[in-house]
Amino acid sequence: MNNWEIFTWITVFILGFGSVAVFIFFVKDIKEILKKFNKK
Amino acid sequence: MHEIATIDYIIIALYLAGMIGVGLWFSKKHTDFEDFFLAGRSLTTPLLITTLISTYYGIDVLFGDSQLGFTNGVVAWFAYARPTYAFFLIAAFLLARRLKEENFKTLPDILDKYYGKKTRYVGAVTSFIYSLPALSLYGFGMLGEVILGWEPILGMLVLGGIALTYTLTGGFWAVALTDSIQFVLMCVVLAMAFPFAMKLIGGFDTMVEVLEPSYFDTMGDLSIWLIIIYASTGLSILVEPTFYQRIFAAKSYKNVRNALVIGIFIWGSYDWIITILAMAAKVAVIQGTLPFDVAPDAALLTVMVAALPAGALGLFMAGVLSTEMSTLDSYCLVAGGNVAYDIYKPAFKPDATDQELIKTTRHGILLSWVLGFAMAISFDQMLGLWVFMASILISSVMAPILLGMYVPSFRKPLAGFLSAGLGLVSTVILNIYIMTQGVYSAEEETFIIQWFGIDFMQEFIMYITVPISLISFFVGVVFDKGEPS
Repeated sequence: MNNWEIFTWITVFILGFGSVAVFIFFVKDIKEILKKFNKK
Repeated sequence: MHEIATIDYIIIALYLAGMIGVGLWFSKKHTDFEDFFLAGRSLTTPLLITTLISTYYGIDVLFGDSQLGFTNGVVAWFAYARPTYAFFLIAAFLLARRLKEENFKTLPDILDKYYGKKTRYVGAVTSFIYSLPALSLYGFGMLGEVILGWEPILGMLVLGGIALTYTLTGGFWAVALTDSIQFVLMCVVLAMAFPFAMKLIGGFDTMVEVLEPSYFDTMGDLSIWLIIIYASTGLSILVEPTFYQRIFAAKSYKNVRNALVIGIFIWGSYDWIITILAMAAKVAVIQGTLPFDVAPDAALLTVMVAALPAGALGLFMAGVLSTEMSTLDSYCLVAGGNVAYDIYKPAFKPDATDQELIKTTRHGILLSWVLGFAMAISFDQMLGLWVFMASILISSVMAPILLGMYVPSFRKPLAGFLSAGLGLVSTVILNIYIMTQGVYSAEEETFIIQWFGIDFMQEFIMYITVPISLISFFVGVVFDKGEPS
């Protein structure tokens, strides 16, 4: 495995798992926001 | 090559229906203009990450990066994409804090505070032109044709119409929420695509063996002047209206800073994978797996159709549509805000109520969409339009905003008005002149005109317009004898 390929797999990892992690935090936040909307 | 299967179409249809659903859900929930336009200034870090990334990564990045990756290799990332991250860092640590200190709603608000109403209107017109969704709608036409076999105009009307519907009804809340769904879809799908592409071409080592060594040269064979221009288009982030809107909509400065720093890693990964997938497409062409005449800007889509299995392909297609929808919705909303908040209210109805402003913003969104549609069906070469859009902000509002922000003694009305006005006018005139009087070079993929024996490319316009804007600014500073605002 050359350096270009290792770098590419790192970016695949960041993009795949990173975006899912961000989305999980987003879902947590959005629950609170939607609750506020429903109260309104 | 795979056919697009029924399951792929079902996934795409579910995605599109979901987007409209979000817009309709929010349609009656807005209490005031700030809620409609800035989501009540309550965006947290995760929401900012998702909406920033999905907004900036439109089809021009998806196909622009991939086109350069297909024809030139890794230079697409090193010279074209990477400089932008430096500007994001500047924005995170230097710009965002200043912007959050004031209660601004739009970019022209800043110009108004520093230089007065006239410059505000110039800024509003610049921001409105920049935000017209012509490129996005053109992209929808292309996607509709490739994915669904539709005529380009039908793709523009249906797919662009869906994004218009949820933006009109749901405002910034709908934009931010749909952006978040679109963000995860486009990132996960792209990450998933890499192993499939490698399987198609026989692995990464095959790619290194098949492609010429210049494909792995970090600076490629692009001229230094073109690299400087590519890199400097990243400057536009420092005066980007949708970027500013997200800063204003954030809960706090820390949220913006954290979102940008985390976002850089995701942006970088996204750009890199697109570059590698485009290079894989080039390998597939050389191997004969893909047709030899595949257009460079369609290479990414073509290799994905060849590499992905049913279901995954549907997700990828929905991801590509997401990329574009998240861009179109954000820019239409900003353009609508320019019409209502930056022009209608200060010029015609200073006492407009929030409900009137929301209504006028909706009219502005519709107007921007219609004008963008007219441009998308009128222009033959969208690349020329892209260069025009990329240069207009930098040439017009960059100097007055950044100089005014950091040097309060420069905040003189004449300086702001001359700099923004002459920057805008010179950019419009020069672009139209080169696109009508120049010749389109298929080899250079740009308009070229002969000036003083030099082949002057459309991209080089900024070498003229930015100095015009800067010189005009300082002329204004010298000749305006009044006190700074």
